[in-house]
Amino acid sequence: MTAFKSLYRSMRRVLPSITRAGSWRQYPIGLSLILIAPLFLLLGFGFVYPVAQLLGQSFFAPEFGLGNYRRLLETPLYLKVLVRTVTIAAIVMIAALILGYPVALAMARIRRKLSGLVMACVLLPLWTSALVRSYAWIVILQRRGLVNDLLLGLGAVGEPLKLIYTQSAVIVAMTHVLLPFMILPIFGAIRMIPPELEQAARNLGAGQLSVFIKILLPLSLPGISAGCLMTFILALGFYVTPALVGGPGSLLMATLIGQQTTETLDWGFAGALSTVLLCVTLLIVVCFRNVLSNNRGISNVA
Amino acid sequence: MSIIPTFSCRRTSQAAFALRGHLKLAACAIALSVASATPSMADQQIVIATTGGTWERQMREHFFDPFTKETGIKIVTVSGTGAENVARVKAMAATGKVEWDLYQAGEIQAASDLHRTLNEDMTAFCSDYRADKDLLADACNRSGVLFGYGTTLMVYNQESFPKGGPASWKDFFDVERFPGPRALPNFNDPWRVMAAALLADGVEPALLFPMDIDRALKKLGELRPHVGLWWKTGDQSTQGFRTGEYVVGQIWQTRAAALRQEGQPLAWRQEQAFLVGDRWALIKNAPNHDNALRFLRYFLNHPDAQARVCEALTCTPARYSAVSAMGEAARATLPTSPEIFNQLIKPDAAWINANTQLLIERWNEWNQQ
Repeated sequence: MTAFKSLYRSMRRVLPSITRAGSWRQYPIGLSLILIAPLFLLLGFGFVYPVAQLLGQSFFAPEFGLGNYRRLLETPLYLKVLVRTVTIAAIVMIAALILGYPVALAMARIRRKLSGLVMACVLLPLWTSALVRSYAWIVILQRRGLVNDLLLGLGAVGEPLKLIYTQSAVIVAMTHVLLPFMILPIFGAIRMIPPELEQAARNLGAGQLSVFIKILLPLSLPGISAGCLMTFILALGFYVTPALVGGPGSLLMATLIGQQTTETLDWGFAGALSTVLLCVTLLIVVCFRNVLSNNRGISNVA
Repeated sequence: MSIIPTFSCRRTSQAAFALRGHLKLAACAIALSVASATPSMADQQIVIATTGGTWERQMREHFFDPFTKETGIKIVTVSGTGAENVARVKAMAATGKVEWDLYQAGEIQAASDLHRTLNEDMTAFCSDYRADKDLLADACNRSGVLFGYGTTLMVYNQESFPKGGPASWKDFFDVERFPGPRALPNFNDPWRVMAAALLADGVEPALLFPMDIDRALKKLGELRPHVGLWWKTGDQSTQGFRTGEYVVGQIWQTRAAALRQEGQPLAWRQEQAFLVGDRWALIKNAPNHDNALRFLRYFLNHPDAQARVCEALTCTPARYSAVSAMGEAARATLPTSPEIFNQLIKPDAAWINANTQLLIERWNEWNQQ
């Protein structure tokens, strides 16, 4: 046990130095290439090739040209849905951050045994399918569901509220499904902050709040930005949850792409929609990075 | 397994003689191993894409297993939603690697040009059945073999309307006389919803197509605040009825029958229900083409099994003799009596196929308003 602990301590000391930029030069370049080749092959055949095919089709089906893109830009519907998709993804990201940060902080700071329990609570839902979790929200939010029964029983409302099949239901359910992706990176970042820093700050007379604002928050920023980026990108392409708990009025890009691939079988247009979504995602990620790297000490993230 | 390896081995070894002698053994060994890996796949099975669930269970019990028992041909199933299956067939055709033999397409889709480019022309197969008077009209045509018909109809909760429920699509849209939340489908195939709105607005059934989309959406706009459930999957429509998410709805008859069976106070109206059939389609270049034809013949020649399947699924089978072989109770639920059958709404497949994109785009736009 003590051997394990000392190993863990030395790992904690060594790990940051490996991840620091430039450390790959410690390995011969040939070995690096061989080690990375399987991943590149897998990504190439399994991801890049099919995606490129789909995107390519947007220029060639039904005939060569920009017809698919013209249609996308000329119909207000598609831009409207794109804007809504980005907005909902942003709202989900912020909600997940507000709800997730305290959980991550608690997990990193409470006793080992308890923290394992919290960890299990965060991870267990991650291992159940998003489909099941979305159905759970239907049970909770439906007309005769838990929430409405409670409100009716307390006499707070006279008629059951319309909670399910709305845009807010989509936001609530997506936030829940994506929460672990926000908590885990932040948890990782807070765990890396030595508790001595906080103790030192307290010794120098800082209050609870200023320790948080001046020490914890800035040092956990790498985790925050990684978590935000992940939830945001996942939310942009979410399909199952909005399809189940959303009404027809809360159409998102993924649903539109699904319609074009399986219902109208117009893969050229599906490709155009995907290309636009991909470009917007990349653009936002680049902006995100630039904004963050202007802050000190975060350039080694994302 | 037994015939093919020897055959291909002999053929390959003839070629190998022309090569240098010591290659012969190697070539034969390779031929053997390749051949022994493929024959059972090539000769003794059929791959059928299904929509899973009850459908597959019923088919396995009444068709797949008995067929395997009689012929020794194994039936392998792959499941997905109907629309997904069509998309995968299209992808297989595009990459030239067809792995499936049979799947089911909706009657409307089956009439499209795309369906005909993806699937075998069944005219020759159907010529054997031209004189068969027991088959429903058009049950075997170039697009495929009819599996059966189902309807999408109006249902209501009897407890909510003790003095008699809504009787027509006009009543469906009349929230003064028949108050309560409504349910309508929202699965990317909006013609049924628009057609119901047009009928409610006074359009003659015979003049439904070509559809006046503007008029339909305007009428739907009146009902929108009263729609409690826009269902996407069949079980949303059943669960919604149980929990009172709606008291009047447009749902599949299959699901309505299931709700009745579990004792829900559900009543339905078959007049002006929407009739849609499903067809077996044989994919072009299917790996087990001949076996698949054999299965389709088996399917058509077993009216009793058709009756059992349709009893369970609440569908109208492809043969008259199958209809009469169904139990009394099941037969009573079918829309086959002439006075009801003549009132059913039959979609204009050609118009719908020509306007798929327009329909879905207008539908999406209306929903986002």
